[in-house]
Amino acid sequence: MANATKKVFNVAVFFVVFRECLEAVIVISVLLSFLKQAIGDNDPALYKKLRKQVWIGAFAGVFICLVIGGGFIGAYYGLENDIFGNSEDIWEGVFCMIATVMISFMGIAMLRINKMQAKWRVKIAKSLVEVPERKRDRFKLGYLAKKYSMFLLPFVTTLREGLEAVVFVAGAGVTTQGSKASSYPLPVVIGLLAGCLVGVLLYYGVSYSSLQVFLVISTCILYLIAAGLFSRGVWYFETNTFNKATGGDASESGDGNGSYDISKAVYHVNCCNPELDNGWDVFNSLLGWQNTGYIGSVLAYNLYWLVLIIVILLMLFEEKTGHLPFCKNLGLRHLNPLYWIKNKKKNELTDAEREELFRKAQDIRFNQDGEISQVQETVPASK
Amino acid sequence: MVKFTALLTSLVLSSVVSAATHTYNWTTGYDDRDLDGSGEKTRIITCNGEFPWPNIEINKGDTVNIYLTNGFDDNKNTSMHFHGLFQHGSSQMDGPEMVTQCPIGPGQTFLYNFTVPDQVGSYWYHSHTGGQYMDGMRGLFIIHDEDYPYKQGEDYDEELSLSFTEYYHSTTYELMPKFLSLYNPTGAEPIPQNFLMNNTRNLTWEVQPDTTYLLRLINIGGFTSYWFFIEDHEFDVIEVDGIPVERNTTDMLYITVAQRYTVLLKTKKDTSKNFAIMQLVDTGMLDIQPDDLIVNATHTLSYNKDNEEVDEAFVDSLEDDAFLDDFYLTPINKTELYGEPDIEISVDVVMDNLKNGINYAFFNNLTYTAPKVPILVSVLGAGDDATNAAIYGSNTHSFVLDKDDIVQIVVNNQDTGKHPFHLHGHAFQVVDRDHYSGPEDSDEPKAYDEDDHAEFPQYPMMRDTVYVRENSNMVLRFKADNPGVWFFHCHIEWHLEQGLALVLIEDPKGIQEDPNQQLTESHKAVCADLNIATNANVANNTVFTDLSGENVQQPPVPSGFTAKGYVAFVFSCVAGVLGLITISIYGLIDISNVEEKVARDLDIDVHKLAEDESLSNEKRPSSEVGVVDDNSSSSRK
Repeated sequence: MANATKKVFNVAVFFVVFRECLEAVIVISVLLSFLKQAIGDNDPALYKKLRKQVWIGAFAGVFICLVIGGGFIGAYYGLENDIFGNSEDIWEGVFCMIATVMISFMGIAMLRINKMQAKWRVKIAKSLVEVPERKRDRFKLGYLAKKYSMFLLPFVTTLREGLEAVVFVAGAGVTTQGSKASSYPLPVVIGLLAGCLVGVLLYYGVSYSSLQVFLVISTCILYLIAAGLFSRGVWYFETNTFNKATGGDASESGDGNGSYDISKAVYHVNCCNPELDNGWDVFNSLLGWQNTGYIGSVLAYNLYWLVLIIVILLMLFEEKTGHLPFCKNLGLRHLNPLYWIKNKKKNELTDAEREELFRKAQDIRFNQDGEISQVQETVPASK
Repeated sequence: MVKFTALLTSLVLSSVVSAATHTYNWTTGYDDRDLDGSGEKTRIITCNGEFPWPNIEINKGDTVNIYLTNGFDDNKNTSMHFHGLFQHGSSQMDGPEMVTQCPIGPGQTFLYNFTVPDQVGSYWYHSHTGGQYMDGMRGLFIIHDEDYPYKQGEDYDEELSLSFTEYYHSTTYELMPKFLSLYNPTGAEPIPQNFLMNNTRNLTWEVQPDTTYLLRLINIGGFTSYWFFIEDHEFDVIEVDGIPVERNTTDMLYITVAQRYTVLLKTKKDTSKNFAIMQLVDTGMLDIQPDDLIVNATHTLSYNKDNEEVDEAFVDSLEDDAFLDDFYLTPINKTELYGEPDIEISVDVVMDNLKNGINYAFFNNLTYTAPKVPILVSVLGAGDDATNAAIYGSNTHSFVLDKDDIVQIVVNNQDTGKHPFHLHGHAFQVVDRDHYSGPEDSDEPKAYDEDDHAEFPQYPMMRDTVYVRENSNMVLRFKADNPGVWFFHCHIEWHLEQGLALVLIEDPKGIQEDPNQQLTESHKAVCADLNIATNANVANNTVFTDLSGENVQQPPVPSGFTAKGYVAFVFSCVAGVLGLITISIYGLIDISNVEEKVARDLDIDVHKLAEDESLSNEKRPSSEVGVVDDNSSSSRK
């Protein structure tokens, strides 16, 4: 049963797809609500036209990345045997680590759907406001961008999120040992459906708090997976070391004595092997269960949670106070090296600038071709 | 040396009637040799600087004096066992260290002094210390007898020995630590580099046509068994392990380590073709089979050296029915099946790991662990306690046998490989040897069932080394008529080192009372040299029932969760739950000024923009509803 599960449903894949789909769907739903607000009542024909653009852009993006993703996964499984042949465990470990990092970084963002919506409103505002300016500098490109901005934005978004999903899915997929290409379609489809469902709920304005509960639960599951992955990554490294030393003997001997490095084992049970016994692979992919607990893998599991808790507490603190504890002028974003490399400090918005930006975005107007026209102070915002 | 041999032979011939005494002075040493022509020299153990070790050929009733001097320069001990010799009344000359004698320390000399009053045929001798014999410390021990049932001149014309062995490009001292290692958890035996006959590859045996040869086939190896056959030839088996048997014609034999077959081979009249002598390794014993390993060692039976070179020969089948089953041989002296056993020793053969991660071999739950004082020494010092099996420790797996008991050993092999078991001091009757008969896909071993077994033969085959089949069982019987301390063990040297052995203490009172069985001067000397007490029990305590401090095996691997595991689990669960709580709190609290924070997080570059456009937009009230909205209502307009 479990092997069948593994064959058709890969939990990590589901969450990655869900998360990426959610982001794309939020963009689309924000765009659609924006269009509805801005011109829905004033000019139904234009509204329909622009709405069509949004959908065409979204689906074009989805389509392209489905094609790329299919090819990517196909190629990956075609090459897998050559690449991983002898050192499977070390690769499993590496991919577990990569997946852990990926999930860890995107999981928190998923929690804050209100922040996500806001983020996209800002992004949309920014992209819309920037178009007219570009037109002056680079006529042709600017013209096209302006004319099809309602196409381009969802297109680029779905394409980017989609490609991200493809890369993540490939990464997350291989962390499940013995995963098959057949384990992709179902979680991908369900992830997409779940993401779209949330998008629809957002658009039709379901109560944010019920959505939030749902998101909190799914994020919790995501982090359980991530902690398990991290532990498994370390476990694979330890197993790899042992297998290297034994010449690959250990894997042959199943669950019993000698199948693991007893000198490093914290516990071992002669059963419940996720790679051999039915059912336990579900615990393996969800919680990182192994029937041998090594010092390293157990420590890794606990450390992962410790670090996560600390980071979340820091974020909470910063949200409350605007800075990290004990450092008045330091926020979490200042810890990102890119922040200093790009010298983004200069670009931080002042309150006035931010207000300015949003105000301009509100004033975006479209001409009858669906192009964004110059921001006009005389036309009042539709209501 | 040649002269010496000739002298010796004439000595042998002249002493047919009156028993002779053969004296050897042997000193061990090392040399580097390339036996398989690979170009790589491997360290081997030499005898007086020579290799191979000399073969001993004596007559029945002769006395042998071997002064074995440990000449090793690397602080290694040594010992010597005469495989198959009963050592009546001379158990202390049997050889296994820490069983019948103290090891011979560097520079020490031990006198092996015994007679062979009642045995004839093919035997061999080898070190019984560590894996030394696999490093070359071994030779043949042939006992001639004019009363031998098959006679030269009548039954055969010439006599020849072929020895078999595997060959490693490393010494067992190098291999053993890797073998008995945490990192060899399956107990995979080291893979040999070559398989030799008479210490060489591609042996050529030049024969005369139309001549009958008495051929002694002796596996002096420590690991692999071989199928032996000669292309297009049959031969008659006449002796197994020194027990003459009724002629049995066959074309293929299976020889495990330490087994001997003596066969009569009649050569062809036609000399126009040479034939292959095949030594096929039982590859099922090899954990892995490297691509460059030649497992079908091919040698030449040469009628004429100008004939075409031989090619490897093949057989259709290597199944059990394709070669001689020694179980059905009948000893010529027709010893009747011993009666119902007085004592039965039933052992399960299991390979498993102990807490240090090393793979050991077990009889039941015990892996033989050498005592601190040799068991025979304990017997001699124990007085009336000697009949109490408990004084021999909990881990030497010792059994005390009464004089003239009929002893039945039941071996239930739960391992997936064949094991050749050898009993010192006796040849046992093989009264039953089963085949695994379960379903092919199951490995459920078949134990001996005393209510359901094949009928025991009237005259069971007797020998001193017999294999039990994988996942199967065998039943052996012998009569405890030879007071002494006898080792019963798997003769695969790797498995012996893993502890696949037990000790039979036969008639301890009889040993104590026999003036010939007392410790000799050289025995006491080698013990003293290594500071091994000669008046103590196996735990080196002078109170024989006090076993404190005895050598014991490693503790077993804990099954399931230990305290450590529970702690790890509880910690992990608590960490997980705390983490989930933290995530939930963070996810459920509201964010104030969300737009501002998001914009800041995005680091939007709008300075220029803001400058350009701000003037014209100043009048617009920012409270106007637009894209930017509160958290939840943006899409509801």
